[in-house]
Amino acid sequence: MRSSALSPLSRRRFLWNIGGGFAGLAFSHMLSRDAAAAGIQHHVPKVKRIIQLFMTGGASPMDLFDYKPELVRLHGQMLGPKEKPEGQTAPAGAIMKSPFEFKQHGQSGRWVSSMFPEQAKLVDEMAFLMAMTSKTNVHGPGTYMMNSGFLFPGFPCMGSWISYALGNIADNLPSFVVLPDARGLPYNQRGCFSAGFLPAVHQGTVINAAAPQPVPDLFASSKFAFAKRESDAASLALLDKMNRAHAAEHPGDSRLEARIASYELAAKMQLSAPEAFDVMREPDYVRKAYGMENKVTEDFGRRCLLATRLIERGVRFVQVWSGPQGAVNNWDNHGNILTELPPMAASVDAPIAALLRDLKARGLAEDTLVIWTTEFGRTPFAQGSLGRDHNGGTFVTWLWGAGIKPGVAHGRSDDWGFKTAEGETYCYDFHATVLHLLGINHEKLTVRQNGIDRRLTDVHGHVVKEILA
Amino acid sequence: MRKSRRIPVLFPATVFCGAALLSLAPGHAGAAPDFTREVRPILEKNCYGCHGPDKQKSGYRLDVRAVALKGGDSRHAAIVPHNSGASPLYKYVSGADAKITMPPKTSTGPRPTAEEIETLRAWIDAGPSWPDEFAGKQEEAAPQWALQPLVKPAVPGPDPNPIDAFIRAKLSAKNLGLSPEADPGSLIRRVYADLIGLPPSPEETEAFVKAMDRSNPASQPEDAWSRLVDTLLSSPRYGERWARHWLDTIHFADSHGFEHDVGRENAWPFRDYVISALNEDKPWRRFVKEQLAADYFYPNQPQLTPALGYLGAGTFDLSAYSTAPVMFEYIDRDDMVTQTMSAFVSTTANCARCHAHKFDPISQEDYYALQAVFAGLIKGDISYDANPDTFRERQRWTSILAAAEKKDSSVLLSPENASLVSTWISQQSGVARWQPLEVEKLLSAGNAVLSTSPGVATAEAKDKVYFSTGPRPDKDTYTITGTSILPEITAIRLNVLADASLPKGGPGRQDNGNLHLSEFEARLIESDAAEPRTLKFSGATADFNQEGWGIQRALDGKIETAWGIHPAEGQSHYAVFTLAEKLSLKQGARLEISLKQAHGTGHLIGAFNLAVTGDPADRVAALPVAVDAALAAPAAERTQAQQVVIAAAALHQAAGDALKKLPPASVVYAAAPSVRIPSSEGGEYQNKSMAEPPPVRLLHRGEYDKPRDVTPPGALSALKHLPARFPLRNPKNEAERRAALADWIAHPDNILTWRSIVNRVWHYHFGRGLCDTPSDFGRMGDIPANPELIDWLAVWFRDEAKGSLKQLHRLIVTSAVYRQSSAYNEAAAKIDGDNRLLWRQNNRRLDADTYRDFALAVSGKLDLTMGGPPVQQFKRSKGPQATPALDYSYYDWNSPGAGRRSIYRCVWRGIADPFMEALDFPDLGLLAPVRGFSASSLQALTLYNNNFVLQQSESFAKRTEKDSPSLEEQVTRAVRLAWLRTPKATEQKEFTDFAKTHGLAALCRLLLNSDEFLFVN
Repeated sequence: MRSSALSPLSRRRFLWNIGGGFAGLAFSHMLSRDAAAAGIQHHVPKVKRIIQLFMTGGASPMDLFDYKPELVRLHGQMLGPKEKPEGQTAPAGAIMKSPFEFKQHGQSGRWVSSMFPEQAKLVDEMAFLMAMTSKTNVHGPGTYMMNSGFLFPGFPCMGSWISYALGNIADNLPSFVVLPDARGLPYNQRGCFSAGFLPAVHQGTVINAAAPQPVPDLFASSKFAFAKRESDAASLALLDKMNRAHAAEHPGDSRLEARIASYELAAKMQLSAPEAFDVMREPDYVRKAYGMENKVTEDFGRRCLLATRLIERGVRFVQVWSGPQGAVNNWDNHGNILTELPPMAASVDAPIAALLRDLKARGLAEDTLVIWTTEFGRTPFAQGSLGRDHNGGTFVTWLWGAGIKPGVAHGRSDDWGFKTAEGETYCYDFHATVLHLLGINHEKLTVRQNGIDRRLTDVHGHVVKEILA
Repeated sequence: MRKSRRIPVLFPATVFCGAALLSLAPGHAGAAPDFTREVRPILEKNCYGCHGPDKQKSGYRLDVRAVALKGGDSRHAAIVPHNSGASPLYKYVSGADAKITMPPKTSTGPRPTAEEIETLRAWIDAGPSWPDEFAGKQEEAAPQWALQPLVKPAVPGPDPNPIDAFIRAKLSAKNLGLSPEADPGSLIRRVYADLIGLPPSPEETEAFVKAMDRSNPASQPEDAWSRLVDTLLSSPRYGERWARHWLDTIHFADSHGFEHDVGRENAWPFRDYVISALNEDKPWRRFVKEQLAADYFYPNQPQLTPALGYLGAGTFDLSAYSTAPVMFEYIDRDDMVTQTMSAFVSTTANCARCHAHKFDPISQEDYYALQAVFAGLIKGDISYDANPDTFRERQRWTSILAAAEKKDSSVLLSPENASLVSTWISQQSGVARWQPLEVEKLLSAGNAVLSTSPGVATAEAKDKVYFSTGPRPDKDTYTITGTSILPEITAIRLNVLADASLPKGGPGRQDNGNLHLSEFEARLIESDAAEPRTLKFSGATADFNQEGWGIQRALDGKIETAWGIHPAEGQSHYAVFTLAEKLSLKQGARLEISLKQAHGTGHLIGAFNLAVTGDPADRVAALPVAVDAALAAPAAERTQAQQVVIAAAALHQAAGDALKKLPPASVVYAAAPSVRIPSSEGGEYQNKSMAEPPPVRLLHRGEYDKPRDVTPPGALSALKHLPARFPLRNPKNEAERRAALADWIAHPDNILTWRSIVNRVWHYHFGRGLCDTPSDFGRMGDIPANPELIDWLAVWFRDEAKGSLKQLHRLIVTSAVYRQSSAYNEAAAKIDGDNRLLWRQNNRRLDADTYRDFALAVSGKLDLTMGGPPVQQFKRSKGPQATPALDYSYYDWNSPGAGRRSIYRCVWRGIADPFMEALDFPDLGLLAPVRGFSASSLQALTLYNNNFVLQQSESFAKRTEKDSPSLEEQVTRAVRLAWLRTPKATEQKEFTDFAKTHGLAALCRLLLNSDEFLFVN
């Protein structure tokens, strides 16, 4: 590959122009993954790989991590906005205290509700962003915002930007894998994992963890008798010959080299993916720890374990979703917090704790970052009498692992948990911080698109140094 | 990546002449802090990080005097001389401003000390002084090429085709020249791919190669080429190929996108419109005007309505529409503004949403003026008549119907409608004869008492009256069984009767005398039949209908809707239910009638009776009380009011009947003031209407909660010779706004429009535009290497070709530049490595759609059916919410429609087809003026294993087997179909050996994966 007539830089420019886009960068990453040389990595990274856990629907802060005694005092009083705020689905009801018990945990004394007994044991290892805030109270734009930094479709999500910037660690697996809830895709469908205007290779590869063929089109369907696995070696060899002969007649075109290489990598993926995606290869006690033997935790647990296996084998970024879009089975608890939140909390709590412990046990914690987040918070006012409505005002995210100062919390919400009070953190700051941990200056990771040098962080973003080790 | 050219530009261009004004500071000279020694160091230390030479947040900088004083994007003076209290700079720095603190609280950088703040105060209050030599300078930006006057340059050489002269001129300046003409085989594949997106057959290729053979003195290559080009341009396949480019450019898709990614079942008529507009070679000006405002410009050509699908091409956030209307309106209009300005004039106007455009001369006012153009529109389905005759008929009857409802005497009593009215009156002369139903049994499903003994009837009720007495249930169903002496019946009449014994005189039992009849049902019980037969009704009329509670609601099968009579309580009323078919009553047959009254709160009938008739159905309808009275008066003595009442009834019925007979209207997803919004899987809709365009306010920093002044509709101020704001005759007519923008865009003097389209077309012929960023001609876009050629083409296209795209294609593809070889040349590459100057044609990979169509063509499975609803190449099932679940992997590639061209695929915005995505089909959440290129292992797996490719491989093999008897010949044939050449001897042997072992289909699969197939030379 290095024998190309053009220097890497001019090759990149050349490809940019011919391909009308970013082919050059895609190509150089596919082959070399030399982000520092490409000028994208700006300082020494603390983190190499990331698992993001995304709670679809807007996980309620004041019922999980954001203890609000003031709500107990004011419970039942009509103190909310008189007019229905934009993006809420109903007028604000009375102030509602959390129906769950809160206790302080660990050396750090973090408050955690009875919903997360297992995560509560690990709070001293986590860093909390207690005053995350969003520009919207609507799921679609809110979920876009937390993933791509924009309220609209068409922009690359964080996983795609990272794949674009750093490429993969291994060359036999996709760089960005998405593990959606077995019950369905999140809001915005695949829009949340889109590469937007980045090359298609950087989009999230969506894996149905329970499907027999994990990576789409990894092998030919058995419907086609002629496309036998046994002929693959001979077939790919002949194809390689055809394509090399064609490339030889068309010198100076590194896209042809990239195409040849792509089939070599595809063959490697065919060899590695089935093993990587098969969680049944893990010992019993591991599967049990992740909750795979319990109906409540089975699906999320399987996907957490799969995430571990994938990053262990060199996938750069894995996103695990809890809950599909829609009115049920997710964190969008409009009707009744007391009945709707506990099953969601129970389905993720033990698997998350197992994931963190396992990453440590496997030695992956040294360069792995785990992120727990959601698209926005919920109102301190009741919706109806028992539920909570959307609230972009304030919500909680935690980070764990490499480069993180353990046991700290940054920012706080107001006494009701309605808005932020201190240390307001937008998705821009959150994304800037994650990129920083990967060694990337978020202001320098840009791609020109229709007249604008686009960034994951738009024109905003400050690294939240308070939570960094 | 290119180095960014971040050159700050000052808007508007008024320059504050600092020195002159500042020297007016009297009396403080001695006390004033010195700028260079005391003040500037403070600014340098605390402010320059964000507002200095390298960065100008909010367009503000403190190293340039003019900007420092005048302010940044806010356009409020930042420093008010002699008044620190009124100077935002001081207020922000001192913490005196409630909202803004500078440096920001979140900043981790240095902060000014109390002493420094005091120095700033004293400096401002004393003048402030800022010596000229330290005034600093805003860099003057280079003139933007696309905003220069559009003048046709002289052709710089003798070439017959001016394109060749312009390209050669730039090449020879670098000691380069054009490459020789490509071999005919490459040429024909290239021009087929470009113009129609399908491959030539091996036979067409051979004939063409022969015709181009310059060694044969009889051949006429130029003729052969131009004949081929003409054939392709007149093929309907041309429109199918080029429509895709336009649909990409304006991000058209068959679903909303966002959270509720609901399908748009009626988006496709716009796609068909684009295809036929291109095939008809509609002049560009006309194409612009039709898409933006066909309804305004061509009101009598309803068949053009699908063009308005342009307005609805983009995304729609159904969730925000319902719950966050303020944000929704702005982002939805932003989508239309961005699309229109990018697609037609290659301008990134949307960059000015939050602040003046950082690089191009576009102010926030301009941007919101563009938003105001689209105010009053909402995306959704609109109805239209594709047939102009039907359209005129519908228009006529709809206006008569409206006149009847408004009792507009000028229409109702006009001579042209007189005969309709008199005919109707004559039909009314034979008043229907009603026979009371002989009631045998009365049942209340509630606990009311239905009395069959005659009550105290009012004078007008000559027949028996039945009362509901006793306890008043919330809801009830009365079941009445009875017979009639009539042998045949056509209608049933329900009289609800006023009576003093009822609340407010009835006829209902509700406290206000109202009633609600939820459903009226009737069954026939023939004496010997085991099961009663439910009767069908063709319609119902009543003498009075409560607003929104018409009598039809008693027949709509919905228990939650009902007929009511409020506020006409205290009077008797009646309703007539017309049977769908005349009913014969045999001896002993009985009717069983149910009066379902499920509204609740005692909205029950208090007194009633029933009658039947056998008279013709068109005579039996209930007439409003006033009409009855007017008809009763002798014709000669009717007052004008009575005549109006009669004419209204007559024409209402005539119009209703006529409209019912018209063929159903067609529907297209577009945008209009009044639409039906597809809202859920399964065909649910929401209706939305806007009476007039709402005012659009400029948003400070683009924030919805910071509205400023109302902005009138308009476009860019930078195009000086065109109006920046649109004078409107009727500001309430939103269509006039769109029409004004269309006129602005389509104007011969719009220098951007003509440059934009010729460059866009060039882009698709060369894989890249003369300006490399086809939707951005601004400073952040590409600077073309040959702007003269763009200008020449723009003027030629506008004036000589009269906006004909086909002439433009012909000019381009007949040029030597287009026809030159794409072969690599090391010497030329050293001078112009990325071929900016076009010393060769560019090799291009087939885009996703063309790859698919090529594969279908060689497999023999291509289905050339044109138009109509999109083919859904996925399994569709109900999703957790409004968005369906789509599974592309289960599609059967042998099902009908599988072989349709890619342009007819259903494109779901948020759930893309993984196969198309792997080949860089764009995410249509955003505009996609160019397609990307990628090569990855996932793409390789897709091309190698996806069912589409495997199915085509199998069909390809079968087709070849049918064509040729021996395996050897089959291999030759397959290679010729895929690569349009005969295999070399070594290839022939190797491929045949392979096919022998692994099957011909396995070889076809490799051909469909080969770069020789994927790339066009």
